[in-house]
Amino acid sequence: MRKKRLAGNILKNSLGWIIALVWILPIAGIFMTAIRPYSEVINGWWQFEEFNPTFSNFTGALFHESSPLLQGMINSLYIAVPATIIPLILATMAGYGIARYRFPLRKTFIITVVMTLALPQQMIAVPIFQIMSSLGLVDSFWGLILVHTAWGIPWTTFFMRNYFKTLPVTIEEAARIDGASDSQIFFRVVLPNAFPAIASAAALQFTWVWSDFFLALILIYSPSKILATQRIPLMRGQYQVDWGLLSAASILVMIVPIMIYILLQRYYVRGMVGWTIK
Amino acid sequence: MKKLLLVVFVLAATIFMGQQITVIGPWSGAEKDAFMPVLEKFEEQTAIEVQYQIYRAEDLANLLPAQFATKRTPGDVIFMWTSFMEKNTEHIVNLSDIIKPENFRPGALDNVTVDGEIIGIPYTGKVKPGFWYRKSFFEEHGLTEPKTWDEFVALLEDISKIEGITAPIASGNGVGWPLSDVTEHFILTFGGAELQKDLIAGNVNWTGETAKKPINKLASLLSEGYFGEPVEWTTVLEQWWQGQYGLYFMGQWLTGMVDDPSDLGVLALPGNEAVVFALDYAFIPKYSKNVDAAKQLIEFLAGPEGQTAQVEQGGHIASANGVPLDAYPPVDREIAELLEGKATVNDLDDSIGGMWQTTFWDQLKLLWVRPGRLDSVLESLQSKMP
Amino acid sequence: MELRKARISNFVVFVLPALFLLAVFVLYPTFRTIFMSFVGPEGELTLQNYQSVFASGDIINFKNIQQGQFPFGTLVHNALWIAIHLPLTTFLGLFLATLLRDVKGGAIIKSVIFLGMVMPLVVGGIMIRFMFDGNIGIVNLFFKTLGLPTQTWTAYPETSLLALIFGSVWLWTGFSMIIYSAGLETIPKTYYEAAEIDGASKLRIFFSITIPMLKPITVVVVTMTLLWELKIFDIVYVATMGGPGGSSNVLALQMYLYGFRAWDFNKAAVMAVLITGLTIFAAIPLIRSAGEENVQ
Repeated sequence: MRKKRLAGNILKNSLGWIIALVWILPIAGIFMTAIRPYSEVINGWWQFEEFNPTFSNFTGALFHESSPLLQGMINSLYIAVPATIIPLILATMAGYGIARYRFPLRKTFIITVVMTLALPQQMIAVPIFQIMSSLGLVDSFWGLILVHTAWGIPWTTFFMRNYFKTLPVTIEEAARIDGASDSQIFFRVVLPNAFPAIASAAALQFTWVWSDFFLALILIYSPSKILATQRIPLMRGQYQVDWGLLSAASILVMIVPIMIYILLQRYYVRGMVGWTIK
Repeated sequence: MKKLLLVVFVLAATIFMGQQITVIGPWSGAEKDAFMPVLEKFEEQTAIEVQYQIYRAEDLANLLPAQFATKRTPGDVIFMWTSFMEKNTEHIVNLSDIIKPENFRPGALDNVTVDGEIIGIPYTGKVKPGFWYRKSFFEEHGLTEPKTWDEFVALLEDISKIEGITAPIASGNGVGWPLSDVTEHFILTFGGAELQKDLIAGNVNWTGETAKKPINKLASLLSEGYFGEPVEWTTVLEQWWQGQYGLYFMGQWLTGMVDDPSDLGVLALPGNEAVVFALDYAFIPKYSKNVDAAKQLIEFLAGPEGQTAQVEQGGHIASANGVPLDAYPPVDREIAELLEGKATVNDLDDSIGGMWQTTFWDQLKLLWVRPGRLDSVLESLQSKMP
Repeated sequence: MELRKARISNFVVFVLPALFLLAVFVLYPTFRTIFMSFVGPEGELTLQNYQSVFASGDIINFKNIQQGQFPFGTLVHNALWIAIHLPLTTFLGLFLATLLRDVKGGAIIKSVIFLGMVMPLVVGGIMIRFMFDGNIGIVNLFFKTLGLPTQTWTAYPETSLLALIFGSVWLWTGFSMIIYSAGLETIPKTYYEAAEIDGASKLRIFFSITIPMLKPITVVVVTMTLLWELKIFDIVYVATMGGPGGSSNVLALQMYLYGFRAWDFNKAAVMAVLITGLTIFAAIPLIRSAGEENVQ
């Protein structure tokens, strides 16, 4: 019986690790292609006769003449930070409001929020383009930040509301008995307890804004303003870059969300799970 | 006192603004470096300072309508597609008083003449002359330029037998224009300039016999495997130079991309009498704060002085009359001479533009790997014509 | 739980700002897009946008379906995407979650698999193009070692959509795995212990206890996956731009082409409405559960 279990265990572990190795191959491949000069990998990055690791692909991508990725990454940051902070503030308040108070049409509001989760960005694209045109905010960072904020509010509100529902009301009730006002209760009592949820939501929202492509494609055009995600297809299409530079660029663009995932893994995963399940 | 200061300020501002205009063009990198000397020459001659800003045409297509609607403009002289200019004449300064057709190559002003009024200028452009080869490669294998279609096919057959050759003709990949350039060459050779113009105007159906003939010729070569699989066009350029392919259809900017331009030879398909001359065009938006200075610049760019300065940099052919042949660097001179006997037309997909262009490129990528689907390709092209 | 009645000040401070942004930048555009899909060239209400989009073959290309050659139409392509991707990622996710529970270093392996979800989809598209390249792609290395012919999958009409779909399985499986992992944790150990005492086999336990207990989570996983498959855009744009010859085109990309290449906003609106109709339909379980819990 024990031997059988041991054999089963060994099988499981081997299978798990083989899968892990196979799974990481594509990333390993692109990493290999990024750190070696393109001429070496032209017939496959698994060829190791010549192996001269270099940073030249990375510097080439970051400081590329026609579309420097560094500029793109700074632009993406410029968008992602406000587009994370602002919706989080607004949605936390709204989520709390819905979780604790009875409003007329509350149920409608919640259902609307959930329906907007199903909405594709394509549904708002054209009118957003027209609105931004009339506001003169096409090709401006704040126009995009505004849209990302509005787009992030439904899911963050839903998320925070679900979280607040799990917090016991008793602490707030006690504070109210002590004479605290509603906003005092919110800022002094509730908010500090909400940190894990806020961290999760922030990690996810930042990642999604950073990774966004479609909204940026619609709203940002100037060569100096385009974001990191937009520069990737440009490097493949317009500026015809070789796989070495393209791989390095890809790694640079994905490094940021991956770092966030690694550093905030607990919150990230909790966020993803909590957002989908109640 | 305050009022006086205000007046002085406004005056100074106008004078200051009068001294500066902005030119918007799509060129960056080496191409931009080739344009700067022209602007510098203009600045030397006049007291006007010129700023250059990069905007790609696709981006301008999104940006300009929004700006024009609020009576603003990002530049005083803007290089852009003529299809855009034609649709936006109400925002463009009329140039009929300073630009005259007789000063240009025949047909150069066609695209910028709307209802008899001239709204833009032709600048310089690049020609797409034919299939390039390395003279050393031809010499080494005893190959010669073909004079008939059959000789051309025989040449391809000969090349395909050479050791180390992946395919006789290299196919460039990318957004799609390398394939469309080859296709247009076939259209021009077997249908003439008239067919190209008719297709652009939508007067001829893609599925009809006239349009089908040149595409069929192309497909026959594709079926025989004479074209290589599409590879990123800059990568395949390197491979062609190294001898993995014999011929490579490309625009004349190729001369600036190889180590040894003197080793370059170019052959057109036998019987070809028309080439695509991709001219750059520019216009002045009405909302420019300095129309007079802009007009001066545009006259300069449209005239022999500006264009000579440009062609001297290499890689450009002039549209204005009066540009001496010896202003061209040697390789370009050959092309300029080659151009002498032939008709010039516009690039097909650039002229139609929009979704049709995207479809055209996409369908050609399909045709290249599945030449048997010729009929469905032509149908798709026809259905997406605006 | 007793909810307090809201005062105006509560509403204004807590909810109004979010509601305002939502109304202006999400709700209004949504209704406007629906409206635009019914507007003709002279501003009149008409069905012609819908008619021309559906007649164009961009949605369903009956002729090609009959002849068995790609492109079949964007709707069919998305349907194919669902048909292949959904079962694969769901089962694979469940399998991996179950397997890696007991594996040493399972957390690290799970992180590796989850990386596909963390990277921007634009990069995901590049990865797919890279994986399936004829010269430097690992899929073709695999084929070569097996002695099978190799090609750049994304350049041929028969294989370009498939390459994207299989590549997207690699990207998305991390999601279902993580959700199922969390779900497996919530099943009380006592259930398993009781079943083992009763002498049930591991397999029996899995099918009689684990799977039924995971049902609500499965609904979530399937719904989210469906939504993702319907909305797919970035990957296709970067890897193939819908080609060659439209054989890997998808609904969202077609919407973009109508709207921002052909500049026909009305047809683009039709596509948007179509996609949204499908996504709302797919999200019905989610919407229902959100509505139900408000009875409290």
